Amino acid sequence: MGSANLKLSRRQVLGVAAGGVVGAVGFRYLTLQLPGAGQRVASAAGAGGAWASPLGTSAGRAAHLLRRATFGYTAAELDSAASMSYPDLVDMVVNQQAQSLPRVADATDYQAVVRAWYEHMATTPAQFPERMTLFWHGLLTSDYRKAARLPFVVQQNELYRSTGRSDFRTLVNAVTFDPLMIRYLDLEESTAAAPNENYSRELMELFTLGVGNYTETDVREGARAFSGIRTVLVDANGQRIQPPKLKGSTPAAYAQALQQLIAQGATFKGVLARTQHDDGVKTFLGHTGNIDPAQALDIVLSQPACAAHIARMALVQFCTPVPSTSLIDSVATQFRNSNYDIKTLMRAIFTNEAFTSPDAYRSLVRGPADYMVATMRALNSPSLAAMCMRSGAAMDQILYDMPTVAGWPSNQGWVSSGAWLARLNFAAGVIASQRSFPDPVDAVHTQLDGVVGPDTASVFNASQSDGDRWYALLASPEFQLK
Amino acid sequence: MITRRDFMVSGITATSVGIIVPPVFAKSVFAATIEDVHNDNVLVILQLGGGNDGLNTVIPHADPAYLQARPTIGIPADKVLPLNAEIGLNPVLPGMKKLFDAGEVAIVQGVGYPNPVYSHFEGLYIWEHADPSMQQTEGWLGKLLASQLDSQGHPLTGCALGQASTPSELLAQNATVSVIDSVPTYQVQGGAGRRVAAPALYKKTPGIYGALFDQALTTAEYGIAALADSQSRYTPSVNYTPQSTVYGSKNSLATSLQLTAEMIVTQPSVKICHVVLGGFDTHQDEDTRQNALLAYVDSAVSAFMQDIANHGMADRVVLMTWSEFGRRVVENGGKGTDHGAAAPIFVVGKPVKGGVFGEQPSLTKTVDSGNLQYNIDFRSVYQTLIRDWLKADPTAVLGASFPELPIIQTA
Repeated sequence: MGSANLKLSRRQVLGVAAGGVVGAVGFRYLTLQLPGAGQRVASAAGAGGAWASPLGTSAGRAAHLLRRATFGYTAAELDSAASMSYPDLVDMVVNQQAQSLPRVADATDYQAVVRAWYEHMATTPAQFPERMTLFWHGLLTSDYRKAARLPFVVQQNELYRSTGRSDFRTLVNAVTFDPLMIRYLDLEESTAAAPNENYSRELMELFTLGVGNYTETDVREGARAFSGIRTVLVDANGQRIQPPKLKGSTPAAYAQALQQLIAQGATFKGVLARTQHDDGVKTFLGHTGNIDPAQALDIVLSQPACAAHIARMALVQFCTPVPSTSLIDSVATQFRNSNYDIKTLMRAIFTNEAFTSPDAYRSLVRGPADYMVATMRALNSPSLAAMCMRSGAAMDQILYDMPTVAGWPSNQGWVSSGAWLARLNFAAGVIASQRSFPDPVDAVHTQLDGVVGPDTASVFNASQSDGDRWYALLASPEFQLK
Repeated sequence: MITRRDFMVSGITATSVGIIVPPVFAKSVFAATIEDVHNDNVLVILQLGGGNDGLNTVIPHADPAYLQARPTIGIPADKVLPLNAEIGLNPVLPGMKKLFDAGEVAIVQGVGYPNPVYSHFEGLYIWEHADPSMQQTEGWLGKLLASQLDSQGHPLTGCALGQASTPSELLAQNATVSVIDSVPTYQVQGGAGRRVAAPALYKKTPGIYGALFDQALTTAEYGIAALADSQSRYTPSVNYTPQSTVYGSKNSLATSLQLTAEMIVTQPSVKICHVVLGGFDTHQDEDTRQNALLAYVDSAVSAFMQDIANHGMADRVVLMTWSEFGRRVVENGGKGTDHGAAAPIFVVGKPVKGGVFGEQPSLTKTVDSGNLQYNIDFRSVYQTLIRDWLKADPTAVLGASFPELPIIQTA
């Protein structure tokens, strides 16, 4: 903050408006005063109150949507978004075309893939497809260890990016034949003689229906229907070829041989090996017949519980920590009536009045990846991707390394003494790595809507440098919320 | 599915006034004075995540049905470490065998509950909340902390160690839990200015998460102060061997249990410590994977018990293992086992009355098409540890009374 001159940007004016418009008890406002001129950022009201919602303003709604549907924004991106009508902005966001992950030199190097993904999350203009990639990764989970030295992580990551906004039927069919999933939930081991129950169970329990909407018999019969799925390597013409052998090779030579095949257009894909598949009659979720994987998935998707389950998962991540039954029903109905169109699902969430009601403001907690990428974007500093990759563990989120098949916690589940220290220490590390900073007072308005609590205002005002002010901002409770 | 997410949702609904947790500590106490804690006993909970296969942990080697059910992954009688004529330990558990022979391990057989569930997340919920009906919203240890152990006055009373999130067992409305991955990283980094600014940002945070956020940072602030010189007061007296690597993972349990020893040795207010080792969901390649994990457990628990004894605290510490379920009696086609029901648990420590308690469930008279029938309710173990070890009131935590087990020595 070099200058003591008081400059009122449009965003600062919005900050005042946000505080001034809402007359509720306990709202916060930001006075437009700068340090160095005997003027201070200030905040009123006591503890325990609600945040003053700026969602009655177009800029407030735009920032709110971008914090949730994307990974945050620079000041310029927010200006552009705030100039659009809210429905147009939702359409623009939802219709963004995905951009592929830039090629990773060694696609079998999981850390290189995750680092590239962090950088892509920070830099791609196709923010919504990227956010959906993270959402599906958190729901249709996996573990990098199962990929061993094969490029399965990047392949699944790209699947969620390319297919994660199409329709859920296409997505769940693709996932069932995705090489990483085939390994992660032991489909690879499942034979007609000894069907493995892992995928059948988690598909219904976690991915589509939820507990209570299937029986243990359905788990066993489903396992029969999903038996025989195997991963093969095919060349650019779809002809099956043999993967290189690790045995008798060095890891480097193996990786090179694999890279060469991939560069020539080879991909891994799941197929149904008929000789390993149980083609007997099964009774699965009330349907009897010679059910194969695609038919089993159709049966799952025909259950009323499916749309509600996905709607609830999406609402908790994107809308409200406690979605009401009527909200879930409303979104689920639109989702199911659209034949599981995922853009319809997300548009239904973003345009629901629950999304922009005053209660919705700062009602979600940014997950660690979300928080770290938003930091990179606020500072326009994608070079922090490696730091993000290293820092996730202490905040309880390592991409492609979930604690369980149910994925990560959400909202208040992210909060613990250790995880919160890790967030603040990430902010400290980020500040230490930066040579210069965007204007921090502007950032209070763009990133925090000018709606700050008394503690943040006080620490911000006591700061002696732009680095200290940015620390106050990035470490603040306000920036952890969306 | 009932997940941790549901638990928290219930937590919000229950209060419904917008504040999820109570205000930060009424008392800012972090000194060694222990006002409301009536003894120095510590309970360490070791969670084996994913559903540990009990049948390949405590092996019914004399039962022909065992190897019939497990033609490829079964462990033959001449390989097991025999405990008696009927059962023996997996050969990767020599340390546990040694402790058993010294009378410091109680093996409780056939632990489970009525109408078993086969979902990880329901199983976890039941064990974490001590409630097969899945109605309780607070973790059993969280309730204990909040109601009887004064965790709000002493933020290090309940500790989750070697992890980043609060285990559901420890979550309760009025429970304070310190979640510490490692002491060196449990700091406000970035210099003196940050050490002032960080806690100052979290004093009166508005909104529905305000109290939760503020409590997390205040807990951290007090914990950091309490731990400031802990490393000058504790040095591990044994080698925990965390560096050995299996399947690309180091023995994180060794690191967690060494941290647990540090906490117990240096922090008088510590009462409940939670550590976890995951990976026990052995649908395939169980022979190698479970053995590797159990070997981690064996070396880490042995080192921990020795370390605690060397620090003169063997009389203060009891460790209990648990897992959300055991596994199916008959192996599957991938050298693995699918989700099952009852399983043994270990209670370890010098104060333990060693031996085998309860009966091995029949491998042939099974429930739900091939799963072991429980014969000891897991809440019996909880009740025994709460009353006989921690000297607290179990009914306030469990809501009912269960038959106790004679697994703690009486003075």
